[in-house]
Amino acid sequence: MMWIHTWNRFVVPAAVMLSFAPMARAQTALQSAPSIAVTGAVPQPLTLTAADMANMTRTSVTMKNNGIETVYEGVLLSDVLKKAGMKLGEALRGPTLASYVLASASDGYQVLFSVGELDPEMTDGQFLVADKANGKPLFGETGAFRLVIPKDKRGARSVRLLTKLEVVQLRK
Amino acid sequence: MRRIALLVFVASTGLLAQSGSFDWRIPRPFPRPAVPADNPMSASKVALGRYLFYDKRMSSNGKESCASCHRQELAFTDGRARAEGTMGELHPRSSMSLANIAYSPLLTWANPSLSSLEEQAMIPISGTEPIELGLKGHEDRFLADIGRDAVYRRLFPEAFPRETPPYTMGNVTKALAAFERTIISLNSPYDRYRYGNDPDAISDAAKRGELLFFSGERTACFQCHGNWNFNGSLRYEGGDSTKAPFLNTGLYNLRGEFSYPAPNTGLYQYTHRREDIGKFRAPTLRNIAVTAPYMHDGSISSLAEVIDHYAAGGRTITSGPSAGIGHDNPNKESNVQGFKLTDAERKDLIAFLESLTDSEFLHNPMLSDPRK
Repeated sequence: MMWIHTWNRFVVPAAVMLSFAPMARAQTALQSAPSIAVTGAVPQPLTLTAADMANMTRTSVTMKNNGIETVYEGVLLSDVLKKAGMKLGEALRGPTLASYVLASASDGYQVLFSVGELDPEMTDGQFLVADKANGKPLFGETGAFRLVIPKDKRGARSVRLLTKLEVVQLRK
Repeated sequence: MRRIALLVFVASTGLLAQSGSFDWRIPRPFPRPAVPADNPMSASKVALGRYLFYDKRMSSNGKESCASCHRQELAFTDGRARAEGTMGELHPRSSMSLANIAYSPLLTWANPSLSSLEEQAMIPISGTEPIELGLKGHEDRFLADIGRDAVYRRLFPEAFPRETPPYTMGNVTKALAAFERTIISLNSPYDRYRYGNDPDAISDAAKRGELLFFSGERTACFQCHGNWNFNGSLRYEGGDSTKAPFLNTGLYNLRGEFSYPAPNTGLYQYTHRREDIGKFRAPTLRNIAVTAPYMHDGSISSLAEVIDHYAAGGRTITSGPSAGIGHDNPNKESNVQGFKLTDAERKDLIAFLESLTDSEFLHNPMLSDPRK
């Protein structure tokens, strides 16, 4: 069972958010904050923190698992790829369709997704990079970030402890 | 949630009812247990079941009650490797914890079709292989005894108001089952940490242990002990039951026809399929720190040794009638491949398991002997 909702919010620039703290302290906090590296065959490799994700288009998904309802919030994986400069939608064609995203966890677990299946204009699937559950930051065994894939019948692709998204283009 | 390798099937829930207005007192966010339509919950039925659970008149010689093998302070286990019946006969297997038994879609160690607490209750009451309470043939005496007891003369009619007389073995098992469904443990320190907004409810060591427990790349413990009840299968109100997996963990690998010592051949006892030899249901790990000794036959005495067993990918017994290399058991679960932990990580994993001890549950006065 699931509900999906998307909205834009947190348009306050990160620099403004941090203006109440000394810059050095803010930089230290940013450096130590959990993050996801978006690497590989993307025009603009980047590192995402929860603060970065707060400024992106947010999506929530309500999951019911083993009788417990959880509202996950985060950013669609397709939006993460777009932020890294990848062309999706109508522009997703040709060799780029022979690309995949390798999602890696801090414990070494890995799951592969084709770029095509992640694009909401190609499929109706939703792939959420979640950083909150029930309004609170993820913690403990889920890590600071996890994937949430409502339509998967099993949870095996819902990578917890997510730290890296590597795009690999097989056909050049 | 990821890497769940459980065999999940939808089971029939058509005979399960909503539990109505009964006050379960279940903490958020957990669901309520499923209840059979022909045995709805009521406070009076639970109260009656609680008296019966602790009543030694239910054994043929008056020496044992249900509570003899299911002691509250031990999370309703008995601390023995193998349970002992009222006549002194040893059961082949260890008493299972009754914690959250209402949420378990299957009962006992290896029976693939026993799902009713009402039906299960008759096994210890009247079973003869082995004799547990030994009441077979003594039911009329027992019912006559309780029919003269002032407490039961009040509780039976309250619990079963439409039945005259209400003193039947069927109602005894219904009341026992109703009480057993209230044996719920969902308030451990880990629950408060994971679900209760208390980040300091467990130690840093337990937090590190949680990561190890839920990592398929490290220990893969959660593969068989997944979900919030840590037993890999659930049944709850409004939900589809998940079928319990039966697993061979490489505890034994005897030479000869059977790799597990008789009579504990596991699921094979019911299916007679050789691939089911040594397969047992994963028990809940809630309160596991107080339920030693471990495994279906109580053959491992400590949590540290249990971790040794799984770290080795199966137990090696070098001599004696049970000698064999469990790692090589042909029916062994694929997730039991072994793992490496540092001494510090081993302590962390144990700290996590200890964080599943629900002290409130172990001392809950609503679950104790009502005559004390």
